[in-house]
Amino acid sequence: MSTTIRVFDPAMCCSTGVCGPGVDPELARFASDVDWLQKQGVKVERFNLSQQPAAFAETVVVKQALERGTDVLPLVLVNDRIAVEGSYPSRETLAALAGVTVKKLAPAPTASCCGPSTGTKSSGGCC
Amino acid sequence: MDFLERAPRNLFFTGKGGVGKTSVACATAIALAERGRRVLLVSTDPASNLDEVLETALGPEPRPIPTVPGLFALNIDPEAAALAYRERVVGPYRGVLPDAAVRSIEEQLSGACTVEIAAFDEFSKLLGDEPATGTFEHIVFDTAPTGHTLRLLELPAAWTGFLQANAGGTSCLGPLAGLKAQQGLYDRSRAALIDGTRTLLVLVSRAERSALDEAERTRRELSELGVERLELVVNGVFVATDSRDPIAKAMVHRNQEALAAMPTGLRQVPKMEIPLLPFGLVGVDALRRLFGGVPEDGAAARTAPVDSRTSLPGLVDLIPALEANGRGVIMTMGKGGVGKTTVAASIAVELARRGHKVHLTTTDPAAHVQAAVGGAVENLRVTRIDPALETRAYSDEVLRTAGANLDAAGRALLEEDLSSPCTEEIAVFRAFARMVDEGERGFVVIDTAPTGHTLLLLDAAESFHREVLRTSGNAPEEVRRLLPRLRDAAFTKILLVTLPEATPVHEARALQRDLQRAEIEPFAWIVNQSLTPLVLTDPLLVQRRASEARFNREVSELAPRVALVPWFEPRSGQRFSLVDEQFRTAEALAGSGP
Repeated sequence: MSTTIRVFDPAMCCSTGVCGPGVDPELARFASDVDWLQKQGVKVERFNLSQQPAAFAETVVVKQALERGTDVLPLVLVNDRIAVEGSYPSRETLAALAGVTVKKLAPAPTASCCGPSTGTKSSGGCC
Repeated sequence: MDFLERAPRNLFFTGKGGVGKTSVACATAIALAERGRRVLLVSTDPASNLDEVLETALGPEPRPIPTVPGLFALNIDPEAAALAYRERVVGPYRGVLPDAAVRSIEEQLSGACTVEIAAFDEFSKLLGDEPATGTFEHIVFDTAPTGHTLRLLELPAAWTGFLQANAGGTSCLGPLAGLKAQQGLYDRSRAALIDGTRTLLVLVSRAERSALDEAERTRRELSELGVERLELVVNGVFVATDSRDPIAKAMVHRNQEALAAMPTGLRQVPKMEIPLLPFGLVGVDALRRLFGGVPEDGAAARTAPVDSRTSLPGLVDLIPALEANGRGVIMTMGKGGVGKTTVAASIAVELARRGHKVHLTTTDPAAHVQAAVGGAVENLRVTRIDPALETRAYSDEVLRTAGANLDAAGRALLEEDLSSPCTEEIAVFRAFARMVDEGERGFVVIDTAPTGHTLLLLDAAESFHREVLRTSGNAPEEVRRLLPRLRDAAFTKILLVTLPEATPVHEARALQRDLQRAEIEPFAWIVNQSLTPLVLTDPLLVQRRASEARFNREVSELAPRVALVPWFEPRSGQRFSLVDEQFRTAEALAGSGP
């Protein structure tokens, strides 16, 4: 069966932080790693707490983890199990989780702050 | 009134602050309603004065104006719209997600961009969603001063373009995550805006050079947006009845000179003039007379005669307290058109003349600080926060730092994000924080944009401050320290500028309350363009002077310190200083005797 990676982000303006008071390079890095992984054919979905709270409420393991506070975010789920908690994994870790071989590590692209959301209907805020 | 005969469904009134947009918009709406139409009057100004002018408490939904059958009005309040939006998002998850998670969503949805988009959403609904407003034959928009309004009018195009171009990634479009779904609405509001059969844009101006120049710039920008139908109203044209009164003569001269120098582009626009009235335009009865133009008999008799002399100190008396620390931030704030730029320039010039290093700047995209100063002054540097330049600089910086280790695809994604209209908010805000930071090393005099825009900037300061406290943060030092600095009364001195009239005084009063809520105490109030200390004989001016007394009193009660600046005629080709003017007027008064 093919692997699905789901990333549950903390409430944030956007996945790059471009529209916050300061830009976190770590967010830009991870966003680009996600983009890379998608290009390897892996299904990756990202959910931002302030934009897609429904996804958090509907995913039982995520909702349970949140009972311990919002510091558990970001959560990375592989299929339906929590694989990483409280930090953004490196590209290598992501690749390993998805069962993809990393050929050559190139610097990576980023996902979007103020871009339209991918598929999910829930509205949410940034900025 | 020409445009009343041919009024399309949507009428927009825009122009420099203080030119009388609200008065003309209200008078138009009343006149249309009295012709039997159903009219909705809408203020898009975050610091709306519709409630006071119509003497009716308004909200975000249309409310009937009791004294004018057929007329309804509402205020688009960006903060309230953002709050309602936030509640729509968060409400369903209370008790479903843990409290801490709900709180963190709320905090995230308190930013400047959410506020802007929520307000813009409301505006689009009125303009582009026919069913929502279908029961009205006319919608009259009283807008915020030009800079802010142009941005609002440009947003439909900006978001539409961004949505079409931005292919991937998660969205920070906030209220517009429904955005993609909203795209049809934005397209429709943009189409309505430029279509001459549906929308008329009225540029409101005064017979003053700066106001006419701004009307011309707005005309050009609106033409570039594709707006087809524009008209010009020159409001408050003074007609002297006593030709011996030197102040009356000066005012007439100033009006005529400005009208004669009207920019060529503006001359092509259909124009009407409205004379200056001897009374303030508050209340439906007063507004009904705006297009009539005939002052009510006995209006003067209703106001008690007052001693024209005043014991209020002048601008010059504030200088010692302002310069005491040898550095810091001085900010002028207030309603559009009260003379914030003039007062800021004048104080900056005076401090520089006294040997201080001074930086004069403005957050108002429509202000002309350099023109207010005139030529070069030793020790004085004059700049402005240019939203386009700041946005470009900020984008470059992000690409250089956060984008440094990304490959081409990653950089392309980041660039795509940066092309969002949100970026401008951040960039301007950071530039503002940088200016305030400079106050550590000398004097920084900041002329702010009109109240509404400034409130949003302060709101951003507060929400970013919370965000900075909450996150480990990559925010620059000046952003972290912004709010504490604004709250430090020894470092930041805020001057609330007003005219001796109802709406600017009451807008400043509301602004003072908002500042105090943010734990910021204004330093002083400045009553500008006062006729009170002048010797006058023209009956209309005498009447206007009499009406000032109660506002001088009101300001004295509200303000920790007051300074009064007399009306004077700016003389061209001369470096200008209100501080000098004060002396000149004092001398003239001494010469003319009590």
